[in-house]
Amino acid sequence: MNSAVIEVLTPRYGIAWYPWAVQYFFMIAISYSALLLTIPGLLMGKRNYQALAKVALLVTVSCTLVGPVALLADLHQPLRFWHFYANLTPWSWMWLGSLLLPLYLVCVVAYAWLAWRPAMQEQARGDGWIARLSGWIVLGNWHAPRWMLVLCGLGALVMSFGIMLYTGAEVAIVKARPLWHTHWLPVMFVFTGLVAAAGLVILVNRLMTGNDEEVNGQSLKVIFGSMVLAGLVAALWLAEGITGFSPSVEAAFASLQGNPEWRAVAVYGLLVGVALTLAAAWMLRRNGNVAKAWLAGLLAVHIGWTFRWMVLMEVQTVAKNTAGYYQYVLDMGSSGLLGILGTFGLWLAALLIIDILVPWKRDLQVGTH
Amino acid sequence: MDTIRRELLGQIAKLTAGAALIPLSSVASAGINDQPARREGDPSKRYGMLVDLRACIGCQACTVSCHIENEAPLGSFRTIVSQYEVEHEETGDIATFMLPRLCNHCDNPPCVPVCPVQATFQREDGIVVVNNEACVGCAYCVQACPYDARFINEYTQTADKCTFCAHRLDVGLLPACVESCVGGARIIGDMKDSDSQISRMLEEHYDDIMILKPEMGTAPHVFYLGMDERFMSRPDAKPAIWDVRDQQGEEIGYEFGSH
Repeated sequence: MNSAVIEVLTPRYGIAWYPWAVQYFFMIAISYSALLLTIPGLLMGKRNYQALAKVALLVTVSCTLVGPVALLADLHQPLRFWHFYANLTPWSWMWLGSLLLPLYLVCVVAYAWLAWRPAMQEQARGDGWIARLSGWIVLGNWHAPRWMLVLCGLGALVMSFGIMLYTGAEVAIVKARPLWHTHWLPVMFVFTGLVAAAGLVILVNRLMTGNDEEVNGQSLKVIFGSMVLAGLVAALWLAEGITGFSPSVEAAFASLQGNPEWRAVAVYGLLVGVALTLAAAWMLRRNGNVAKAWLAGLLAVHIGWTFRWMVLMEVQTVAKNTAGYYQYVLDMGSSGLLGILGTFGLWLAALLIIDILVPWKRDLQVGTH
Repeated sequence: MDTIRRELLGQIAKLTAGAALIPLSSVASAGINDQPARREGDPSKRYGMLVDLRACIGCQACTVSCHIENEAPLGSFRTIVSQYEVEHEETGDIATFMLPRLCNHCDNPPCVPVCPVQATFQREDGIVVVNNEACVGCAYCVQACPYDARFINEYTQTADKCTFCAHRLDVGLLPACVESCVGGARIIGDMKDSDSQISRMLEEHYDDIMILKPEMGTAPHVFYLGMDERFMSRPDAKPAIWDVRDQQGEEIGYEFGSH
């Protein structure tokens, strides 16, 4: 029996996660990805990666500090955050995250503190309030052996894998939203995180350190590699849906069927993805082109952020139970635009405060390898 | 005397071992995203609801009485009757289909294990509730519910949902929606009692009973009689009320404009 159905009456179901969530997922993904970029130069002490490590460490620390603030703001009852620690709930991914996040933050801060400490000790010998403050921050003139830095770095690295896992799993286990419910989502978060982190490193490199070509080149390679892998993952996800290998991905496609806006989003994603991959390849082919890396950097940051916006916000407008889609209008206040701008403002403030206090461009505490 | 002492020592040993083992075993047995142990409520009961769609006239008395009983904010609903206009494509005949929606109090509720602070939990009698003094308002449960049965209450800023009016059931009253249903379409009862109306009706109409979104594996405990399978999951329907837009494509004519 063929019939046409009109949904005459249904309530509007609101957005439950605000743009704060996008900000957190964006910041924390840049944080763990930029941490990975510090590994060869700082943790392994490879000379030709030290310039990259310096910029990446600044990006890591600033994003690690700001991410949790955005996360806290996404709670409707932020002052009750201590409830996480008063109720041991190891079966909840979000609770596991609440355990991992502070540990990760402490490890990252300790890692950066040890890396920046020799330069800050030197700075403390000068005059003025920055020198005095540096003296307090370094906690004395004793020499921190390299194993301490390696230990904190490894700790941060291990915790960062936990963050990658929990942020991905937390969203991917939500069966109720087929667009989220795929094991490819956590993988995609990591690859797009790497793209955005390398992009931000390129931008900071251009604006704060004089556009070091080596840093640009290494970051472009990360962007290129991550984009190729992300493309592969997207193709596998598509294949799972088209072949019906994954009923959930198939349901995800069905939920968007015939929607012109989502089709436009898919086409746009494909276009900017191909554009960034080709741009990175083109810039890497000739040395002179690397100076223009900031263009790729901007596009990379855009892709990293927009992917999270689409996944976390726009997917919430796909009705679970009723017909059609909800119209999400970005609120101008703190649960909308102000929150987004505020997070970026806070990040900029963190970046500038570190820039004022820490001589991060000087040599990091690395062994001779 | 000796046996008594031995028994007493045995009891103490069991208690001590039990006290030490219970929390550990409950943690060990619950893998990530597994259902935690149920707590509170009457373990001898399992509440469920049968919605007899043949008796539903879509009057929304349940929606209104629930709203008044549970003081949900304007625009948020613990229960609602979705209404559809169904047109036969060949004959042009038109029928109206009513679908009361509420929390399904699933046996495998996806909203419970996600809660990071154990604020939402399932009682021993199957009712899924939220302790809104513990809830941090992370809205993870809202995302996890496939039935859109949860929302963040804008007054309390915590998760809110249908509780089968547990506060009324616990003192021997019927839920507000059941009490106010003019057609007697909502039947609530103890499914563990084979003599209850719900148990008898479920048995009698066994082959015709349907649940919403069975593919989610949630084992809902709200059952529908007189249901059309095209409405079990997200219906393939035209969303009439969202299509009221002006020439610029902006939505107009909807009074709950906030997100």
